[in-house]
Amino acid sequence: MSTAVKVEHLSKEYRLGVIGNGSLWKDIQSWTAKLQGKPDPWTKINEESRIGKRERFWALKDINFEVQQGERLGIIGRNGAGKSTLLKILSQITAPTEGVVKMRGHVASLLEVGTGFHPEFTGRENIYLNGAILGMSKADIDRNFDEIVAFSEIEPEFIDTPVKRYSSGMYVRLAFAVAAHLNSEILIADEVLAVGDVKFQEKCLGKMKEVSEKQGRTVLFVSHNIGAVRQLCQTGALLDHGKLLMLDNVDKVADEYAKLIGQ
Amino acid sequence: MTSDKETWDVVITPKRMWLGLNLKELRQYKDLITLMIRREFVSVYKQTIFGPLWFVFQPLMSTFLYMFVFGNIAQMGTDEIPQALFYFSGTMLWTFFATTLQKCSDTFINNAGLFGKVYFPRLTMPIAYVTNAFFTLLIQFAVMLVFYVYYLANGVQFSLSWWILTTPIYILQLALLGTGFGIMISALTTKYHDLRNLVSFGLSLLMYATPVVYPISSIPVRWKVLFQFNPVAPVIEMFRYSFFGKGSCNLKMWAYSLIVSVVVFLLGLMTFNHNEQTFVDVV
Repeated sequence: MSTAVKVEHLSKEYRLGVIGNGSLWKDIQSWTAKLQGKPDPWTKINEESRIGKRERFWALKDINFEVQQGERLGIIGRNGAGKSTLLKILSQITAPTEGVVKMRGHVASLLEVGTGFHPEFTGRENIYLNGAILGMSKADIDRNFDEIVAFSEIEPEFIDTPVKRYSSGMYVRLAFAVAAHLNSEILIADEVLAVGDVKFQEKCLGKMKEVSEKQGRTVLFVSHNIGAVRQLCQTGALLDHGKLLMLDNVDKVADEYAKLIGQ
Repeated sequence: MTSDKETWDVVITPKRMWLGLNLKELRQYKDLITLMIRREFVSVYKQTIFGPLWFVFQPLMSTFLYMFVFGNIAQMGTDEIPQALFYFSGTMLWTFFATTLQKCSDTFINNAGLFGKVYFPRLTMPIAYVTNAFFTLLIQFAVMLVFYVYYLANGVQFSLSWWILTTPIYILQLALLGTGFGIMISALTTKYHDLRNLVSFGLSLLMYATPVVYPISSIPVRWKVLFQFNPVAPVIEMFRYSFFGKGSCNLKMWAYSLIVSVVVFLLGLMTFNHNEQTFVDVV
């Protein structure tokens, strides 16, 4: 089995506080004042100069791990541990400050259900649009179309109605159905199951497990629902304050997480 | 596992590239581009009374307005080109440039929600915007030809020139200028939201510094130097010269405008590439 995802020394830094003055004109004034060696005209009294002042915050610090192909990794941690930042970097939404991520295969990330759905478009049109946004070709969607509709449990007579008329449950089911049928080697999912009823959540977990086992896809899954993580994943990664505390069998990691919250 | 090292499909590093057009990646997303164009195009007229007529409504109304205000009240010349054709052709080309610029300059702000949740080549959106504007232009061009035939049938003589063959270049130039300036500004508007107001204001000012509602020949000599810096001006003049045989055909200015178009586009691409990977943290 080969490595699907390899993360080396990954760090992400954010700057805190107000960056710049928020308007180009004020920034130009501050900048020219700095060039002339004068004090920044927009500095508040008793405050250090704005430019050059950099309060930093490491959302992630020196993360290293590997995920094998076909493995299902659950990433858990408290709020603000860096889980979402990690997934954002893996999904290429934002660039890391340091480190390298290498991945083998096409990556599909599902950070939010229904991204790019256009309310004026019908269910059918949105399946194509959403699929394309997630990186599927038209031919892929054509092939999976019936299966997607069946999975979403949306009655066929609604599929040509604009999605703005859908109930929120229908909306979510359709969106997840598209994502579940992606032909990607790596699937990244963040808290996507927080929506939908319990029965549909079960179905989604089952589907993710199935594609991973049958087609050897790699799944990276973030959730606060430890039950769901235990059910889906084999390995777990525990993040806290931007550091990787533990990478082990999912049950051990979940126990460690329980201790962490218990403190 | 030694062979592993060379075969990664995706490598994410902190480095940002300046000039690079990942055409291979864009090709992979060609279905998305098609759908985005369709989405842009259709959303103009979904749930409207006039439907697709909106594509010609706006330039027609502007033409009537200009005929009334500039043609009749202000008595401004049109190089002996029939007023309707003169104003319509100007508005049509200007709108193509201005819409492209404006839409592209809002790329990051309007798509922040989408870009913050899923990765696809960000250039998809500007490409969809410019193509959509191009289709609108084609429809309007067809309307212009209807006017053209009408005037021909009424005995107006046009001396068509061979320059008509370079029409695609004029359009390409406007596309490069609009997209180039647009994506350049888009990189800045993520940080400075007030630039958006400047864009719409600046565009309406620039329209009056472009021969849209008057011909270059009517400008006093001492102001002509101003027009030499406006890369859009020679394109519109050349277009009118090609189709109506009137107006100026200044090849030096056109060559300048061509060079500016390419340079602006490349600069735009550079700033866009540089910005796309981290804008999420700034917007």
